[in-house]
Amino acid sequence: MARPGRMWIVSGAMTTHRTTDDLVVLDHVDKWFGQLHVLKDVDLRIRRGEVVVVIGPSGSGKSTLCRAINRLEPIDKGTITLDGKPLPEEGKELAALRAEVGMVFQSFNLFAHKTILENVTLGPIKVRGHKKDAAEKRARELLDRVGVGHQAEKYPAQLSGGQQQRVAIARALAMEPKVMLFDEPTSALDPEMISEVLEVMVDLAKQGMTMVVVTHEMGFARTAGDRVVFMADGAIVEEATPEQFFTNPQSDRAKDFLGKILKH
Amino acid sequence: MDDVTSEFDLVLQAFWLTIQLAALSGVVSLVLGTVLAAMRVGPVAPFRLAATTYVNVVRNTPLLIVFVFVFVAFPNLGLLVGTPFLLKGVVAVSLYTAPFVCEAIRAGINAVPLGQAEAARAIGLTFGQTMGNVVLPQAFRAAVPPLASVLIAMTKNTSIAAVFGLMEATARMRYFTNNSADDTVIFLVFALGYIIIVETLSAGAWGLERRWRVAR
Amino acid sequence: MRHARFRMAAAAVLLAGGLAACGDAGNDDAEGVDVEVAENAADEFDDGTRMKELAEDGNIVIGVKFDQPGIGFKGATDDAPVGFDPEIGKILAADLGIAAEDITWKETISDNREPFLESGEVDLVIASYSITDERREVVGQAGPYYVTGQQLLVRSDSDIDSLDDVKGTEVCSVTGSTSLENIEAEGARPRGFDTYSECVDQVLNGTVDAMTTDGAILLGYAAENADQLKVVVEPFSEERYGVGYSLEAPEMCQWIVDTITEAQEDGAWDEAFQATLGQSGVETPEPPAMDECPA
Ligand SMILES: Nc1ncnc2c1ncn2[C@@H]1O[C@H](COP(=O)(O)OP(=O)(O)OP(=O)(O)O)[C@@H](O)[C@H]1O
Ligand SMILES: [Mg+2]
Repeated sequence: MARPGRMWIVSGAMTTHRTTDDLVVLDHVDKWFGQLHVLKDVDLRIRRGEVVVVIGPSGSGKSTLCRAINRLEPIDKGTITLDGKPLPEEGKELAALRAEVGMVFQSFNLFAHKTILENVTLGPIKVRGHKKDAAEKRARELLDRVGVGHQAEKYPAQLSGGQQQRVAIARALAMEPKVMLFDEPTSALDPEMISEVLEVMVDLAKQGMTMVVVTHEMGFARTAGDRVVFMADGAIVEEATPEQFFTNPQSDRAKDFLGKILKH
Repeated sequence: MDDVTSEFDLVLQAFWLTIQLAALSGVVSLVLGTVLAAMRVGPVAPFRLAATTYVNVVRNTPLLIVFVFVFVAFPNLGLLVGTPFLLKGVVAVSLYTAPFVCEAIRAGINAVPLGQAEAARAIGLTFGQTMGNVVLPQAFRAAVPPLASVLIAMTKNTSIAAVFGLMEATARMRYFTNNSADDTVIFLVFALGYIIIVETLSAGAWGLERRWRVAR
Repeated sequence: MRHARFRMAAAAVLLAGGLAACGDAGNDDAEGVDVEVAENAADEFDDGTRMKELAEDGNIVIGVKFDQPGIGFKGATDDAPVGFDPEIGKILAADLGIAAEDITWKETISDNREPFLESGEVDLVIASYSITDERREVVGQAGPYYVTGQQLLVRSDSDIDSLDDVKGTEVCSVTGSTSLENIEAEGARPRGFDTYSECVDQVLNGTVDAMTTDGAILLGYAAENADQLKVVVEPFSEERYGVGYSLEAPEMCQWIVDTITEAQEDGAWDEAFQATLGQSGVETPEPPAMDECPA
């Protein structure tokens, strides 16, 4: 398998230095789906360059948390700020904000009618206003780095799941985001394809990208994660370093949860 | 009779008018129908209401009545008096066809997985860009077969213009049958003309489907 | 010699509906002329003739126009059509001993006159049916019982006053009609509509420059809108209205010619005209001489 290259040319903000100031701040965030209280008074600060792994049982609100950060889901109470600025309302400004937040979905969601190359260049051309030539040159670099450069002219349906997810990562990176959100990026993949995606993510973390990763991959959490956030029933129950969390969970919910997933 | 054969240029002229009417109406209906569909799925409530109302009202109105409005009622009110007949025909056929186009495309939009629009929004595309670059192109692909049916029906519907001042194929057919003793040949010639137009449309739709199959 | 007598019931019965606008075309006053019905008519005809069959049946199906004021018009609420053509129909039926109320009127449009005759769906067509050689190849046409000619109906302020003026103008008539074809040949842009009333609307609202068809029909519309419309140009075609019959019953031709000739001589033809087309104010013309029947 092609190893991603060493040198990332992602955003200037992250390659320069790891600072400790907060990039994403969730302050007393609540959200309901009708009667269902899916986010309960969530407080979370994500520092620049930090890799936060979010873990928790199904339905605990992990996806909702991710989607709230780029406002694919609006929240009902509290505030979310990105790089010091509160998330704007729906509209042009919000679109601009979303361009700063990369998102990788469990089901890849590559644009089915566009080639791999077009998938990656669409945002830079339409949102950033880049020239087609420049956007394509950059897209090919990114595709090479995630190891699918030779597939650039194909359509998503012609690629394996692992390849598609790596394209999805390249597509998000092409926007030069300040933070990347991953919502269970490997759980729709066959086992043999999981590692190729994780390797890309680990490399990205090493390059200093700020990342929020919803995953149950403990290997990834241990290698690349700075912090584990454990959620249950819409609330953050426990936060710890990966090592502490996996070896010595404090809450009963976490112990129970780890007991279940470690059996597998 | 040898009428149709000896005056075949009249047949060709008539079908040329039918083709113009169908082609122009097709383009206008597709544009108008797409706009209506975007309004119906869009986030602006008054647009949604307006588009939904239009679609429901016009879909439940017989085509003949739409023609009467455009060709008789409006001119009686002083509207569209100087408008060329071909344009009035395009207006009538398009006003009537657009709601059907809208519904075919809306069905196509609903067939596009939600994740496609989310991924588009997630990279910062606006609602308009998301529709224009991601959702509609895929919706069109899914809507090709129903759209082909709509356009085929529309082509045949242009024959109503025969009794609203346009000497298109059906009007010319009635010119020939009025004169002639043996109508069978005339009917066959004109039916064949329509069949050729409709089959061309079907072939086009089939070609598009084939071309886009790989990308779905 | 067979003989049929006709008598006018009420001299002043107006066929108001015939020439009025669609709205009041359903006027109950419209009755037409009472025609005396021949008695024992079946005895008058030779065995094996269609006339004998019809006389014995006591019923006849006649195709007429329902949409031509003055000629053949039936409002939505009317029981029977009114106009010159139905009057001719009544005269013919009476000679077979068939009373007006026993006539089955069937609407024929320009397109279905031949098929109706060929299939036997109607016994006679009396529907402003111009005699032409082409038509005479497939159906019989006896007559003419009336001769009119194509003219133009224009707005009162129109500059059109000769046939040359129509070149390049938009002229409406009924889709597929001979009138439309003729005006197209004169260089006008033909605008076919489904009905005369829609066509008149186009003239009134200024969408088209003129309407064209047989003068008789135009006069009816001009009378309705005397301050807005006028009929112009000398008749530029000769439309000879004939009675259509099936070629399978060629014996009908001579009977039709004889019966109408009698009506022309004893004044029934005049009465029929005055009660219908004559309402527009035109003088009752000399009845036309009819063609010989084919041998
Ligand atoms: N659009 C929606 N409408 C209503 N309820 C929703 C919606 N989306 C999610 N939910 C509910 O909100 C709760 C939290 O969902 P969420 O997808 O955030 O959980 P999750 O932790 O990501 O779960 P999983 O591990 O299964 O992905 C669940 O009970 C879910 O059923
Ligand atoms: Mg989830």
